[in-house]
Amino acid sequence: MAKVILNAVEKVYPNDFKAVHGIDLEIKDKEFMVFVGPSGCAKSTTLRMVAGLEEITSGTITIGDRVVNDVPPKDRGIAMVFQNYALYPHMTVYENMAFSLKLKKMPKNVIDQKVREAAKILEIEDLLKRKPKELSGGQRQRVAVGRSIVRDPDVFLFDEPLSNLDAKLRVHMRVQLSLLHKKLNTTMIYVTHDQVEAMTMGDRICVMNLGRIMQVDTPLNLYHQPSNKFVAGFIGSPAMNLIEGELLKNNDTILVKIGEVKLPLTPNKAEKVRSHIGKKVWFGIRPEDISIGDHETQNGVLGRIQVLEHMGSETFLYFEVDGLKITAKIDSMDAKGLQVQECHGFIFDMEKCHIFDYDSEENISL
Amino acid sequence: MEAKQIVKTETTYPPIQKKSVKGTKKTKKKPNIKLGALAIVIAILFLSPFYIVLTNSFKTQKGIFLNVMSLPFGEYFSSSNYVEAFHELNFIRSFMNSLFITVSSTIIIIIFASMAAWMLVRTKTKLSTFLFFLFAVAMLIPFQSVMLPLVRIMGILGFLNPYGLVFMYLGFGSSLSIILYHGFIKNIPVELEEAAVIDGCNKLQTFWYIVFPLLKPITVTVSILNVMWIWNDFLLPQLVINRPEWHTIPLRMFYFFGQYSRKWHLALAGLVIAMIPIIIFYFFAQKHIIKGVTDGSSK
Repeated sequence: MAKVILNAVEKVYPNDFKAVHGIDLEIKDKEFMVFVGPSGCAKSTTLRMVAGLEEITSGTITIGDRVVNDVPPKDRGIAMVFQNYALYPHMTVYENMAFSLKLKKMPKNVIDQKVREAAKILEIEDLLKRKPKELSGGQRQRVAVGRSIVRDPDVFLFDEPLSNLDAKLRVHMRVQLSLLHKKLNTTMIYVTHDQVEAMTMGDRICVMNLGRIMQVDTPLNLYHQPSNKFVAGFIGSPAMNLIEGELLKNNDTILVKIGEVKLPLTPNKAEKVRSHIGKKVWFGIRPEDISIGDHETQNGVLGRIQVLEHMGSETFLYFEVDGLKITAKIDSMDAKGLQVQECHGFIFDMEKCHIFDYDSEENISL
Repeated sequence: MEAKQIVKTETTYPPIQKKSVKGTKKTKKKPNIKLGALAIVIAILFLSPFYIVLTNSFKTQKGIFLNVMSLPFGEYFSSSNYVEAFHELNFIRSFMNSLFITVSSTIIIIIFASMAAWMLVRTKTKLSTFLFFLFAVAMLIPFQSVMLPLVRIMGILGFLNPYGLVFMYLGFGSSLSIILYHGFIKNIPVELEEAAVIDGCNKLQTFWYIVFPLLKPITVTVSILNVMWIWNDFLLPQLVINRPEWHTIPLRMFYFFGQYSRKWHLALAGLVIAMIPIIIFYFFAQKHIIKGVTDGSSK
């Protein structure tokens, strides 16, 4: 059982490119931690540093109770599943899974028992004699996971393991991996750029951008309480509406002005952003916190519908208010009869809005 | 609100193209006569030396000089050429010499070239790029320009023997082999090696257990190229090997061409005997050139 601690970990490449900027992170024992972020945010680099495939420039990585900076990958107590499976093509599934155990010079009967146990967990018992090229994408991925399981590692590392699978299989494997985590009860670090994977699988999510950690929290906390504009915009689909605005004071009410529209903040939010009155801010509101209603109410605006996307149970509604483009997510029943280019009233749930500092982009309304 | 008029549109699909289905209707292709004729001419050109060697190896010396293209019949037929050539070549001995030099040179070239190419591909430094180009440039140096100084140096070092010859073949054969391996290794996903490292392989184990088996198709190509060249090589063994008991088949073949007489009938029979092992090897190796050996290892 092992927790993983990254302490001021930096990675600078020989060409002086700084990929990772002093990361501090503690991954708890048995936790399913997901690294998520856009391409080039150093999530895979960070994972590879934990694996020992990438040297760290400074800082320390601790797995369990020992610092592993100078420990070779095979002795770190980790197992890794690669994006492109990395199965040895000249070996059968059985040989692939048994390879690491053979290198450890384990007795044959122990190897056989471990391989068959792992194969049973992953339901690949009938594939053991096949070569990787005779398997489907999903089967290959399960073999890759099986190869990790037999090693009985303290920490599982997954580097975008589902990104090569089709959408349906990805959903299936997502559930399988979550079940596997519950079954094995081991620390898992999972890298993905897919926020749906991150939200559905992770106990906690570490959102990264440009080699820095933007926020580490549970999926729901990230969604409802993003600590900065990046996280707010990255987590959620469709993305949060982020609009440039200004905080104004009108008598006792604090208003946020976006375009020509002035929306009053709730007393709770107003109290938190009081120090920013008169300053430019980013106003953020999730699409589902906008509903259709009377634009003459306090939080209402009049907008012209640009595009309607019917998703089945819900409808994405893209509308324009004074040149500002805003997205709303409404129940498909409420969207019945709506037409493009029509003007409608939209109501903003101001209790759920977020205000971000214009320069630092930190959430000042939490 | 404007009521929208629903306009019914008819969708038109492109006509379905009729395809000939195997077993139902065959599409007849017109044979390209010109191309066929050209192929036959080229085939004759390439096969004619085999015909000449094979037919004349069963003729007497006189039969060869009378008509080189005729078939071996009648009084000019000789069945003893092969037995005689076999003895004159001291075939068992020279075959074993050729085999030892060819096999050991090829094995050493394969080991060194594959390892060197692997490191050159995986080590991305200016030095590795420089070394790679150095190997490429080395191929441009003509053998004749280095043979005399090389033989002299090897003589001083006491390497004018089959072992020295193997060492020299390593030098001459490495360049092309490294370039061939280099191109192939670039397409092997590095994740396979990383997976091996995590599984517990050291550098050498990663190479032998993971990388080298994946190089099978290019190793077969490299070995075919080197075996053919080394097996048939005459000049370098002629310069290096000075003791008759070390002579290879091409060197022994030279015995048929004396200063005053040329035993063509025996030479051609000897040539057929010398060709057999290499042809067997070629057909055996050809089967092992499998395309896409890394299929299924990655996405």
